[in-house]
Amino acid sequence: MRSSLQLQSELAPSRRPNHVMHAFLAEVRYELIANWRQLDFAMPTVLFPAFFYLFFGVFFGKGSGLATYLVATYGAFGVIGTGLLGFGVGIAVARESGELRLKRVTPAPPAALIGARLVTALWFSAFILFELFVLAAVLADVRFERGQWLALAIILLIGTLPFGALGLAIGTRVSAKGAPAIINLLYLPSAFLSGLWIPITMLPEFLQQLALFMPPYHLAQLALGVIGLDAGHPWQLHVGVLAGITVVAGIVAMRGIRR
Amino acid sequence: MRNSAPEQPDRVFAPPASKRFANIFGIGIFPLLAITIVLLPTPTQRVDATPDSFAIVNTRVFDGERTWQRADVLVSDGRIKAIAEELELPAGVETIDGTGKTLLPGLLDAHVHSWGDARADAVRFGVTTLLDQFTSPAELQKARADREAGGATDRADLFSAGVLATVDGGHGTQFGIPVDTLAGPAEAEAWVAARKSEGSDWIKLVVEPGWGRQLATLDQVTVRAVINAAHQQGLLAVVHASRLEDALAVVEMGADGLVHVWRDQVPNAEQVKIIRDAGIFVIPTLVVMEGMVDPAPSLALADGPLGGRLSPFQRDTLMQRFPESARVEWQVVLDSVRLLSEAGVPILAGSDAPNPSTAMGLSLHRELALLTSAGLTPEAALTAGTSRAATSFGVPDRGRIVAGALADLILIAGDPTTDISHSHRIAKIWKAGQPIDPKPTSTTKPLDTSVAAAPEDTFLADFENGLQSRFGRGWVPTTDKRMGGKSEVELEVRNGVLHIAGEIQAGGMFPWAGAMVFPGDTPMSAVDFSSHQEIRFRTRGDGRRYSVMVFSGNTQGIPASRPFTPGDDWSTIVLPFDDFGGADPGMLRGISFSAVDPPGAFSLEIDDVEIR
Repeated sequence: MRSSLQLQSELAPSRRPNHVMHAFLAEVRYELIANWRQLDFAMPTVLFPAFFYLFFGVFFGKGSGLATYLVATYGAFGVIGTGLLGFGVGIAVARESGELRLKRVTPAPPAALIGARLVTALWFSAFILFELFVLAAVLADVRFERGQWLALAIILLIGTLPFGALGLAIGTRVSAKGAPAIINLLYLPSAFLSGLWIPITMLPEFLQQLALFMPPYHLAQLALGVIGLDAGHPWQLHVGVLAGITVVAGIVAMRGIRR
Repeated sequence: MRNSAPEQPDRVFAPPASKRFANIFGIGIFPLLAITIVLLPTPTQRVDATPDSFAIVNTRVFDGERTWQRADVLVSDGRIKAIAEELELPAGVETIDGTGKTLLPGLLDAHVHSWGDARADAVRFGVTTLLDQFTSPAELQKARADREAGGATDRADLFSAGVLATVDGGHGTQFGIPVDTLAGPAEAEAWVAARKSEGSDWIKLVVEPGWGRQLATLDQVTVRAVINAAHQQGLLAVVHASRLEDALAVVEMGADGLVHVWRDQVPNAEQVKIIRDAGIFVIPTLVVMEGMVDPAPSLALADGPLGGRLSPFQRDTLMQRFPESARVEWQVVLDSVRLLSEAGVPILAGSDAPNPSTAMGLSLHRELALLTSAGLTPEAALTAGTSRAATSFGVPDRGRIVAGALADLILIAGDPTTDISHSHRIAKIWKAGQPIDPKPTSTTKPLDTSVAAAPEDTFLADFENGLQSRFGRGWVPTTDKRMGGKSEVELEVRNGVLHIAGEIQAGGMFPWAGAMVFPGDTPMSAVDFSSHQEIRFRTRGDGRRYSVMVFSGNTQGIPASRPFTPGDDWSTIVLPFDDFGGADPGMLRGISFSAVDPPGAFSLEIDDVEIR
């Protein structure tokens, strides 16, 4: 394995743009293949939101505002999962197995590696949204204007980014064994407290206040804003928080990768 | 989530099955999501219909506030039943395809003066509601009765201030409508109550010191008293003011709206802020002011796509000119409106039709365009002519395309939300769900368009043979009675001179009484005098102002006119045809010598009338 990679390295003498693109595309392809072959890991990420939605949205909430609300929040829940877990756990495993160090000797630039993971995460996010939208429309009779469906998809796809950065930052600091546990410990409670599983207005008042400090809350509010079910904070606040997370987590992650 | 790919290094470089998966499915998820979004259901409204229901489908809709790029609108029983991006229409409903077109709410003109055929004339241009700022109580009561009767109509609805608040001899008293003038603040309460009992929908006041001339006007104490009385009796109070100073004064007094923008100076930032904070609305009436500066753009409208909808009367008002003395600083007016709209002052579209250079209905389209030259976006201009006018004056059920509103609609073959000039491309108009015929149905007979050659003789009349003229049909009396007035006149030939005597009575909008001569063999038949230059006659009289009116061309209604003032001694008056704006000597039909306002008795002598 090592020899073949060295060979590849020799065959690719420089990082000309087409080589970078080639490396990036190759990375994307292998990331997807890798995930396809390890469905045991990818499945929960992809199926949980749909599963939850089927239970709470379709069985309990059909025909009510709940079914509508939960399309946005389980969408957020899904893309946050692909961001945090896909990046976080993935990078921790890659780091510990030596793969990261190995990749560093290949001509593929670090940006191609990160970019490939991002495309992979977006792939999963898109798949989750596809599932949720179809379930909501077909089984829960949810109806949005065309522009609302589109805005939901775009906001949630872009919303993968800050949580990918956050996952990356965590993944570069914890062990491969600890990563899933730690990330889930952050992911699941904050998702609940941000009103992703049940409407935030059903939580006690002080928890609703606390939600302002939860990153998922801000993505969920942006998505809910599209369908007029947000809490009414200015959208600039949510975008600002998410952009801040992306930048800070991005810096932390870059330092972690170089370590 | 990984760490399995490099198990078999050689396969990494050629993984046929996985590669296919990655290429097809891997990239395919994004198009799949995109296609899903296109196919996902959008809200549909199931609606009931009545036999007269119809729907305009697949059309762009400006609903009075915002634009729907694609929507369906269902109309039932003269009202809008439903609007949605997609309506699930009941079977059998007539549908009108609006692809590439734009549906607008019927327009509201927030400043008109209505009489005669105004309401029918307006609706042919999509102006389905008139907010009148001065008319006789009779017009107002007729309109109110029609409005309250409801049902199908082929005329615009009219709401009005009725008689305006002014002083004896002030602006508003010169039009011949009897005006109950105010002498002081003590009369305010009773005066407003009288308007309310006549059916006035709001109160209009005039603060007009005379455009540079001296004109009596209401004093500030009385203005304040009338505004307060209006508010106490639950009516809005809007004000005519042509100076910034007066506008600011009435803003301070709590007026609700200005029916013109001032025309003397551009306000400073602080003044704009005062106006904005007062929450007052402004109807700039740019089109009537443009007519004083440059009538050409309004005249050009007659040759545009809407020209065929003009009645002869509308053509005439469009071709009339303000006197030279009517001046306006055009840039001041435009800049003032720009500052107001930038500050967020509600702007309403109003034309002040049918003043000279305007035509009822048509001129509102020009007003919308002028509002965009003053910085409003096309959507803001449309809002000014629809929902904003309706909400500012509190007239219900119109100005918006929303379930429950009146089905006053205009279908435009274009997109006026991005290019306001498209408002002229009217494809169809509905008033309360009834389609409107674009052709004017004039109450007068159409004119004979044949033209006779001019005689050799230039002497039209020497009064040696009674009321016979030397050629043509001869002399007849003419008064405003044919337009609802009450003025009187008698003609008598004594000693080879025509004596015209009578009395101008208030009551019509344009009072007149005098003598008319027809140069053709039948009344109003056309004679070609295109190679002739002028009208010449001798006259003497009582020193009041008279008008020579030239009836010509293919139009009917108020003709081109020039004033003259005969004195005690005989004098010869020469009036070149070129001085009669809009007159066409190539189709001369009649010439009249008439007294006009102010009301009162008159006496005039005419002799030796020539067309040279």
